[in-house]
Amino acid sequence: MNGCAVRCESVRKRYGSKWALRDFSVAIPERRITAVLGPNGAGKSTFFRMLCGITRPDAGRVEVLGRTPGWRTNRDIAYLPDRARWYGDLSVGDSFVWAERLLPEFDKERAEQLAAYMGLDPGMKAEGMSRGEEARLMLVLCAARRVPLIVLDEPFAGIDLISRERIVSTLIDILSSREQTVLISTHEISETESLFDYVVFVDNGQVALAGDAERIRAERGSMEQVYRQLYR
Amino acid sequence: MNEAFVGGLRFTLDLSQPLYEQVLNQIRNSVAKGEIALGDKMPSVRELAQALKINPNTVMRAYQELERDGLTETRRGQGTFITTDAGKVESIRRQLAEKAVEEFLGKMRGLGYDWPDIERILREKGGETA
Repeated sequence: MNGCAVRCESVRKRYGSKWALRDFSVAIPERRITAVLGPNGAGKSTFFRMLCGITRPDAGRVEVLGRTPGWRTNRDIAYLPDRARWYGDLSVGDSFVWAERLLPEFDKERAEQLAAYMGLDPGMKAEGMSRGEEARLMLVLCAARRVPLIVLDEPFAGIDLISRERIVSTLIDILSSREQTVLISTHEISETESLFDYVVFVDNGQVALAGDAERIRAERGSMEQVYRQLYR
Repeated sequence: MNEAFVGGLRFTLDLSQPLYEQVLNQIRNSVAKGEIALGDKMPSVRELAQALKINPNTVMRAYQELERDGLTETRRGQGTFITTDAGKVESIRRQLAEKAVEEFLGKMRGLGYDWPDIERILREKGGETA
């Protein structure tokens, strides 16, 4: 069987009086696409930030690619933060030159192919981009890295239908190579659920349900139906 | 529901049921009905995954099962093809027919009919359509 890309054991994190994560335990399979689902404020982004060493747990253990998160593991993670913005004065082309110098395992040729597919012109500057264009650029910067783990925090938020479909199609291509683990959080469940291998439902800082997507379908129905059962 | 028509194969996927079985059964049905011919090339795993917007792992699993059944064969560097062995297709067709009959009989027995009644109804119906 496959190993784990991410493992959390009884992780707790509090911001002031609010528990972002409490007794959060999960094991995420490698070389698969895993969706992290749940309402706003459930703890999804805190979990993702912890994987990148941006936030540390108050208690419990986090392991990413078999190690404690930090600058060493970040070489191996392509992370698209929630509500991410890009540098306004950089064009698409400039961004790729910059990324090639600074982002480990960035494949510029791949990025250029993806950008063309996503309808991004090399001369476009981030400051003149629509929200969808900027989000697509940031996704390309992640997807073009040949790293073991890609973490995408709401890559579809505020993105039009056609762009969403192109992102889904890019994810299928990434998965076809079967070398990378993808972790994704999204509210666009019905559009994306057919992609998922593994699903983690997060509620109120805890894992409400986690399992193989096909098994959840057999036992309880579609992810959208399960979402309604869990959070209604 | 995800629907797609790819390389002679028609799919309708229900997201509330396991996708692997649906992909597998729908390909089996297409082959048995002759919608895709003996020796025809199947879409690649990537093509089918893209068309159905599903995980390539799901397509891969279905393809592996089809190959174990002997319904397809993979030629190195060329892709996956429907078998040229008409006997294999016939045996799958027969299996599907048996399954359809079992389902039918199950439903009839569920309604409280035993064999003589079922036979009589079949005759009547058959008489009408023949």
